[in-house]
Amino acid sequence: MISSHIATAIPRRRFLRGLGVTLGLPMLECMAPAFAKGSQPKPPKRMLLISNNLGVLPQHFFPKDKGPGYTLSPYLKELAVFKNDFTVCSGLSHPAVTGGHSTENCFLTAARDPTRSGFRNSISLDQYAAEAIGQQSRFPTLNLGVNIDKANRSLSWTRDGVLLPAEDSPAALFRKMFLQGDAKQTALSLKRLQERGSVLDVLSEDMSDFQRGLGASDRSRLDQYLTSVRELEQRLVIAGEWEQKPKPATNATPPQDIADKARFFPKIQLMLDMARLAFESDSTRIITLMVDGFATPVFEIDERQRTRDGYHNLSHHGQSKDKLAELKKVDLQQMRHLRDLLSALAATPAADGSRLLDHAMVLYGSNLGDANVHNCTNLPVLLAGGGFQHGQHFAFDTLHNKPLCNLFVTMLQHLGIETDRFASSTGTLSGL
Amino acid sequence: MWIDRSFLTLFMFVALTQLRAETVTAARALFIEKHCIDCHDDSTAKGEFDITALDFDLSDGANRSRWMQVFDLVEKGEMPPPEKSKLSKNERHVFTQKLGSELLAAAKAELAKAGRGPVRRLTRVEFENNLRVLLKLPSLDIRDKLPEDRDSHGFTKVSAMLDVSRVQLDAYLDAAEAALRSAMASEQPPPLPVSRRFTGIDLFPGLDTFGGREAMFFARDNRMVPVTNEELKKMTPEQRSDSTLELALFRSATWPYFGYPRGFVAKVGGAFRVRFSGRAVRQVQGFRLVPAYEPVAMSFRARQPSGADVSGDVRETGGWMDLQPEVREFETTIHLKAGETFEYSPLGLPVPFIRTDGGFYYDYPPMPPEGHRGVAIQWLEVTGPIVDTQWPPPSHRILFDEVSHVMGTEADAVRLFQRFATRAALRPMSEQAHEPFLQLIRAKLAAGMTFADAMLAGYQALLCSSHCLYLTEPRSGSADAHYAIAARLSHGFWNQRPDDELTLLAKGGRLRDAATLKAQTNRLIADPRFAQFVETFADEWLDLRKLRRDIPDERLYPEYRKDDYLVDSMAHETQAFLQAMVRENLPATTLVTADFTFVNDRLARHYDLPRVAGSAMQRISLPRGSPFGGLITQAALMKHTSNGTTTSPVLRGVWIMEKLLGQPPPPPPKSVPAVEPDIRGAVTIRDLLAKHTESKSCAGCHAKFDPVGFALENFDVMGAWRDRYRGMEKGEQITGFDPAGHPYTYFVGAAVDASGQLPGGQTFRDIHDVKRLLATNPRQLAKNLLHHLILHATGTPVGFADRAEVESMLDTCAAGGFRVRDLVHALVQSRIFIGSSFLP
Repeated sequence: MISSHIATAIPRRRFLRGLGVTLGLPMLECMAPAFAKGSQPKPPKRMLLISNNLGVLPQHFFPKDKGPGYTLSPYLKELAVFKNDFTVCSGLSHPAVTGGHSTENCFLTAARDPTRSGFRNSISLDQYAAEAIGQQSRFPTLNLGVNIDKANRSLSWTRDGVLLPAEDSPAALFRKMFLQGDAKQTALSLKRLQERGSVLDVLSEDMSDFQRGLGASDRSRLDQYLTSVRELEQRLVIAGEWEQKPKPATNATPPQDIADKARFFPKIQLMLDMARLAFESDSTRIITLMVDGFATPVFEIDERQRTRDGYHNLSHHGQSKDKLAELKKVDLQQMRHLRDLLSALAATPAADGSRLLDHAMVLYGSNLGDANVHNCTNLPVLLAGGGFQHGQHFAFDTLHNKPLCNLFVTMLQHLGIETDRFASSTGTLSGL
Repeated sequence: MWIDRSFLTLFMFVALTQLRAETVTAARALFIEKHCIDCHDDSTAKGEFDITALDFDLSDGANRSRWMQVFDLVEKGEMPPPEKSKLSKNERHVFTQKLGSELLAAAKAELAKAGRGPVRRLTRVEFENNLRVLLKLPSLDIRDKLPEDRDSHGFTKVSAMLDVSRVQLDAYLDAAEAALRSAMASEQPPPLPVSRRFTGIDLFPGLDTFGGREAMFFARDNRMVPVTNEELKKMTPEQRSDSTLELALFRSATWPYFGYPRGFVAKVGGAFRVRFSGRAVRQVQGFRLVPAYEPVAMSFRARQPSGADVSGDVRETGGWMDLQPEVREFETTIHLKAGETFEYSPLGLPVPFIRTDGGFYYDYPPMPPEGHRGVAIQWLEVTGPIVDTQWPPPSHRILFDEVSHVMGTEADAVRLFQRFATRAALRPMSEQAHEPFLQLIRAKLAAGMTFADAMLAGYQALLCSSHCLYLTEPRSGSADAHYAIAARLSHGFWNQRPDDELTLLAKGGRLRDAATLKAQTNRLIADPRFAQFVETFADEWLDLRKLRRDIPDERLYPEYRKDDYLVDSMAHETQAFLQAMVRENLPATTLVTADFTFVNDRLARHYDLPRVAGSAMQRISLPRGSPFGGLITQAALMKHTSNGTTTSPVLRGVWIMEKLLGQPPPPPPKSVPAVEPDIRGAVTIRDLLAKHTESKSCAGCHAKFDPVGFALENFDVMGAWRDRYRGMEKGEQITGFDPAGHPYTYFVGAAVDASGQLPGGQTFRDIHDVKRLLATNPRQLAKNLLHHLILHATGTPVGFADRAEVESMLDTCAAGGFRVRDLVHALVQSRIFIGSSFLP
């Protein structure tokens, strides 16, 4: 399913190769395509993690009853065709992650008390997963945003709590994924990689000298330094190889960025299309997407109606009937976009012919349980796809929430990562 | 070796059949058969220990440490369990003598072969500090580029944990490159510092803040002057900066809040000088200001100039200043990154809260009879960034001396690199060692790279090489031993590279001279840079880094809601106390008991002590019978050993036993779930634990650490004294309003029973008794402190071969009553610290 912004398909095959730059190092085994060995490849698992930092109206989102035979809530009715392809959870939150909107950066990290002095974020789910599975695609992760305040907000954080800025331009993303850079750009990035390579050569030589003067245990201790030098060299080679490797072909038309923040939904649509293309082309296995409602001014709900207030003010509805009605429309529209994404993923075949949706987990949620009162408990959480036992409403205690990280651990395990904990987890979410 | 091997054969045999008791080692096998195997064979393996699976090859470090555990448990008489065994005193002695001497021989052989510990990488904090010193860039900020170091029992300077991965190496290269780039002068001199003065309405970014008028207003002649947005729009800059107005603030800088001088943003990062005029006030009915009764502390916080919902980095900067009831001028230096501003941060004032009844707004707590405490600011000036007046800056000269970084020749390159390497390397480098780096520079120049870039590539490689990234052991016979001692001293006590004086002494080979060492140690301790030791050692030994991990439960402990000032004050107390222990050479018993401590206004209130004015820590004598003397009961320690909602005698007991008393308990068995505390207030933790430790096998271990924990039950989750527990359902109902004005209800229930029996058999009624009992063994307290100091200073824990040395240090310090600075001197003078020429 191609969106209106990626109109007619222009078949194109671009193989801009032979830029005349090589690093003069052997091609690594890990560079070989995964399916070169076996005949019937097992499609890799993927995950897309979406958060809207203003959440949804909880009364229309959460189902009233629980279990496999639950009744769809008004919002979830929009996803009715996929009822058996998603699970909705209530009673989940991050323990001690409080502080109103500032929790938006902790949705995938669960780092406590983000507004205190000296706060430091921790590693986010996507980065943790990427570290564990290694670089199996051109981009270990993609970190995307809609209307996002890039300097201050992100779902993606390093192990040291450093913000990884989101990409908010679908056009730039498309270029990164599909358009080969010109020779000069490639040469420049290769040159930088080479320079680091030459420094590593010196370090390797120096460390070997240093080791000679030391005892056996010191020598073996310092072997890890030499290993690091070698691994880093290999990484540089991988980066260099990807730099020179032809990018995948696509039938999609390069998208045009939308500058107007008021065109909120077309922007979401475009980003979701890019996410789907990234999975389809195996450009990455892991994607995050922050929908920054906070930074969204008065916007178009549809062709006919604009909101009467900026999204943030709207979300503090104070039980005003008009505002609640508008918010409901906005939320429903988002649900429809989610449905379209699931449809597109279901219509796309994976390497073995099965639905791409069955290999792609899609998490939709928010750091706010109720934006009206800045409540950070009882977060809306929906997990679709990925090949789980779906079709249920997991209802946990709304007074004593279960850690959302339990779901994260289940997702990590589903990606094939052997771990039994992540951040504030206390277990997994059994039954999925 | 043959003895061990033959023993091993025998001993594997033991598990299956009878012994062939012929040799001396067979005697030990017999001992094991008689006293150990019932519980520790492969099928029972009590305590997850199967002695039959344990190899007797003592040259293997892992085996040695297991046998060391066997030795310790048998020697202490804990194994075999006294109630189950008829082991005679003599049998025990023969066994431990033999095993002990073999362990010692093996440990000494290892020491002779490999030294006390492996070389260690610098921590990221040390790396940043070293580059700051080397490049003369005191505000260099590269720490965030480097991955956080792992810790072992809280300590980050442990050789075995300081790994290098590709991620780290890449990060160190990035950090070195960034540091060198900021050291190099750009083509143009930096812009001169900009100075701005704020008065009147320009003192604040808006006309109100969260919490409404009660939280902030402008005043003239002590009365509120209301200003509307419409009026503001029409104002000229002169009207806006009307200096007859004061800014009055009555809330702390905690979410939701933003309060910085209107429109100020640092274009470039760096240090800024802030001068301002302010006073402490009270707000009384009708928005009027009257002089305060006591000072109000204030600080600044660096942050992004966004709205209330600031993300990421918010840092206190500039230190604490006490505003007095009369107007005074203050001056401080704050550090900002590019794009940041700084907000007024009054400490210890209320934080408004969200009301959702009848709309959505932030309410301010009800006014106390004496009025709301607050501050009033008359004007504020900010000047910066403060840059070196020299051009090019000293950091540039470190890299390029007087050579033009554009026009340098190859000969210049060689000279500059050698000059830089002499300063940067932690030990002297041979000409030959320079060669790979010089080759790199030459190759870059030959490839047409600019002179500056080629030099920087060489410098970058050097900073991440063995010469700058690794600390070595002072080895006997090594030419560099004195440099290693210098580095150990400075990294241990200052967290940074040696200064010129230490380097000069290393060059002269003087650092094994006892008098010189003592003088240098005293100099390091007296220096302001010793604060780095205090902070690091408190973070790592006393786990102060975990102080802010848990937030007190707002339902059970509403009085602590958002009280960052209290938490910060706790950290300051423990740091001040630790510093006094070393600088004033206090006895090791101050760990558990003292008649003084350090408090400020907030902490004095917390400890229910007589009033103290101001935010600065003051040394005070504790009243007789106060439970707050000694590190063991300080609020910081009580806070981080609880979880914010409940206290656990188990967790506190374990922490105290390991960190303060040096008797770490064995790890908990895997199969037993932890006790779930009951916060309704129906059952006390003592009752729950009694159930938990009903079985004898649990009780044995718990008896080692629970008692101290029980004695500490009189201290709540924030370290304040309590006689009764709080709960959510049972007991006497308490209601009121917290500092933010939220109504609260909790229940005061069962009385705290802090009595118990120490593992030695002595019974106690409460913490006072326990302190007295613990203070009777100063040698054990001193020994534990030494163990932690050794780990901090050398990166390697005390090994079997170090034990005699530690005992002799303790002997040296016994006469003086095991004083802390004496212990430090004894350590620095020991083989463990300075290495030795002794061979086993």
